[in-house]
Amino acid sequence: MIAIPRFRAFGAPLGMTFRFRSPVPGSRVARVVLLAVLIGACARDASRAGPSNALLIVGYDREPDTMNRYATHILEDIQSCVVEGLVTNDEKMNVVPVLAAEIPTIQNGGVVLRPDGGMDVRWKLRPGVKWHDGKPHTSADVKFTVDAINKGDWKPESTDGFDRIASVDTPDSLTAIVHYKEVYAPYQMQFFRGTLPKHLLDGRNIDKANDYNRNPLGTGPYRIVEWKTGEYVLLEKVKEYWRGPEYPKIDRILFRFLPNTTTRINQLKSGEVHLVALVPWDKIRELRALASVRLNQVLGNGYEHVTLNEKHFPPFQDVRVRQALAHAIDRELLVRTILDSLVTTVDGPIQPLSWAYEPNVKRYAFDTAASNRLLQEAGWKRGPDGMRAKDGQPLAFTLITQAGFAIRENVAQTLQRQFRDVGVNASVKLIDGTTISSVWFSGEFDAMLHWWQSGADPEITLFFASDRTPPAGRNINYFADDSLTRVLYASDRTVDQTKRAELLRTAQRRVAELVPELVLYNTAKIDAVPASLRNFKGNPTNAGPFWNVHEWTMGSESLNSR
Amino acid sequence: MSFAARRLAQAIPLLLIISLLVFGLIHAAPGGPLSLYLDNPNVRPEDIERLKRAMRLDKPLATQYLSWLASFVRGDWGYSYADGRPVTERMLERVPATLQLVGISTLVAVIVSIVVGVGAALRRGVDHAASIGAVAGLSVPVFWLGLVLQLLFSNTLGWLPSSGRASFVGGGLGDRLAHLVLPVTVLAVAHAAGWSRYLRGSVRLALAQPFANAARARGVTETRIVLRHALRLALLPFATVVLLDASIMASGAVVTESVFAWPGIGSLFTEALAKRDYTVLMAFLMCASVAVVTLSFLADVAVHALDPRTRNAS
Repeated sequence: MIAIPRFRAFGAPLGMTFRFRSPVPGSRVARVVLLAVLIGACARDASRAGPSNALLIVGYDREPDTMNRYATHILEDIQSCVVEGLVTNDEKMNVVPVLAAEIPTIQNGGVVLRPDGGMDVRWKLRPGVKWHDGKPHTSADVKFTVDAINKGDWKPESTDGFDRIASVDTPDSLTAIVHYKEVYAPYQMQFFRGTLPKHLLDGRNIDKANDYNRNPLGTGPYRIVEWKTGEYVLLEKVKEYWRGPEYPKIDRILFRFLPNTTTRINQLKSGEVHLVALVPWDKIRELRALASVRLNQVLGNGYEHVTLNEKHFPPFQDVRVRQALAHAIDRELLVRTILDSLVTTVDGPIQPLSWAYEPNVKRYAFDTAASNRLLQEAGWKRGPDGMRAKDGQPLAFTLITQAGFAIRENVAQTLQRQFRDVGVNASVKLIDGTTISSVWFSGEFDAMLHWWQSGADPEITLFFASDRTPPAGRNINYFADDSLTRVLYASDRTVDQTKRAELLRTAQRRVAELVPELVLYNTAKIDAVPASLRNFKGNPTNAGPFWNVHEWTMGSESLNSR
Repeated sequence: MSFAARRLAQAIPLLLIISLLVFGLIHAAPGGPLSLYLDNPNVRPEDIERLKRAMRLDKPLATQYLSWLASFVRGDWGYSYADGRPVTERMLERVPATLQLVGISTLVAVIVSIVVGVGAALRRGVDHAASIGAVAGLSVPVFWLGLVLQLLFSNTLGWLPSSGRASFVGGGLGDRLAHLVLPVTVLAVAHAAGWSRYLRGSVRLALAQPFANAARARGVTETRIVLRHALRLALLPFATVVLLDASIMASGAVVTESVFAWPGIGSLFTEALAKRDYTVLMAFLMCASVAVVTLSFLADVAVHALDPRTRNAS
């Protein structure tokens, strides 16, 4: 904290420059400045009302492109306060029903495998739910949503899963039977983004339906009352929310758009905003001292790792080289120093929160002796400069990562140093956020430090199946293993959760043996919330921390342990 | 009249060339409006292809340029790739905030420049201080100064709001003025630093002219010579510089707007750039080019009208 006396020290040279002409104008200037500052001081009190159940101010890192949950490609925090899904997932990544009365499974008869290889999912909707305009929410809305997305005359972000639906039957207003052409294991999250209101959108071009896209009709606890472009979105509570008159507890939520991270954190410190979701890890330390703020941390459903592109840098095709690199990394050191112990190391692509997580996989401890031995075995010999080469080709590659991401830049440099210790020459290259996506999609890189953030379903086929290299998937390791590919596809065709988990556990063990990528640590999700906010739980996935916003309430500070 | 017409005729091919260059550069930048979609594992290649077709990004670049140009000159600026709204609507809603910020900052910077510039031309002590101040003002990065001012006046002292255009609660006139103080200071410092040096130089030059000596010989006081004669002469080139800089500032308060979350077209530009929102970027850059061309044209015409010597030369 900068104390006032230091400000005096700033001012001293300025005073001196004025002094040797005439002291009078200087003091006049000072008086004007003082006056201006006083006016400011009077005005600012209003802007710093603390958080209350009357108003909660959120500092948000970006302005949404659209409020249509199916069309946006960024986090849906604002949208999910307004438009509810049939399901969502909680802070432990359990799938929980929202507009659905229950989650259909094989056990409860909600899912039926057909002899022709397809499957039927029976969604029972919660009775008594109304859209904000008073019309009932029905199975016709579910059918309309599927038809609208499959019709393809507008621009939903993803049609994943929907394209496998042949048709939807609506035997009554609260039952929708979804007929899949094939078995589709992640069916539970199919309507996680909710439904489109048929009575409002039927027969319209949804891309052009700006009344809906800017201010969607939902069933959620809030509605949008104002969207001031470039400044904020204001949400106001819905009076007749289906969960009952006691919900939601907070009257109004204001999302202020503050794309500059430092500005956003400064506003949190000054009290101009009350809540900042997903605080960048390098800002956590300065927020710890802030009494008005509590840091809520949950495990994330994502993992930081180094992708090893076997197509672009063929030495990665040798499993001994990949294992050697894994042994060369001191992950504990990274976590303890650069990451301030905010995250925990993990060993595979499926995260500990998932029901499919396999803890008993092969681990690669920090062991430079083992690393050196493996590289030696693989034929990479140290030269006079200590760096390894084989047949005149040096073991040298470029590690790319996203620029402007302070922690990642530091981690990349540390990895560079740790690889150098075993004779591997990695050079770090920083690439801006928009460009890096097209770089990895085209496969034009050797290695990349990044993370994947996934939804609650544990599908990993698109990252590891040998035929899912871009453009068909996200296997940017260009890694191919037949037995792994077979297991992954089998898991996609297994709806029974226990059996699917077994297959995915086998897959995780196989991935750990073959090290297609260097897994570093779990991506913890840390939200800065008012110390007095109760029932805030956070969320490991892109469902976002606002999934239970109806329960949030401002209590007395003493109720919270800090 | 013929002078103005000739300058206008030159502007049109210039703008055409700019549009071609800008279009080429924007599309040459790696990534496109869809590249951010790739980060979501659930967006599949079929989705990318489908969206590309829907946005007509699958057409050859020349076709895209010609169809953009044809619509643009007809006043149809297209739709934003990011949110699907008309580009004109997105631009227009941001203009007032930028005009307010840039207008006030320019005014403040001009007043400061005149006071400091004239003072520096007259008094050696002021000159030294002003030149140190100017070097500091020119070399301090705008985003750094902005963040330091936020830390000091907003976080530590709590006197001023750190960003935004108005408080959500209690946003009266005083509140709006308080929100202006920091961004205006940052922008004004950056410009006054250069302009005051420029004005000081012009005043010095004017004072070295024979007419100044003639006035001195007649016993006119130095202050009077500066204020009545030298300053008037010096303001001519100064006005040109201010007009040109203001046109750049009108489109280019990009950094300041981003640091202070000011909802102007500068922050729209930052956003559009990150998302490779081609239609918004093109419209923004064309407006910026038109502003620069127009204001430099106005500066020429103004000098032409004010200074009889340039009239004789043409």
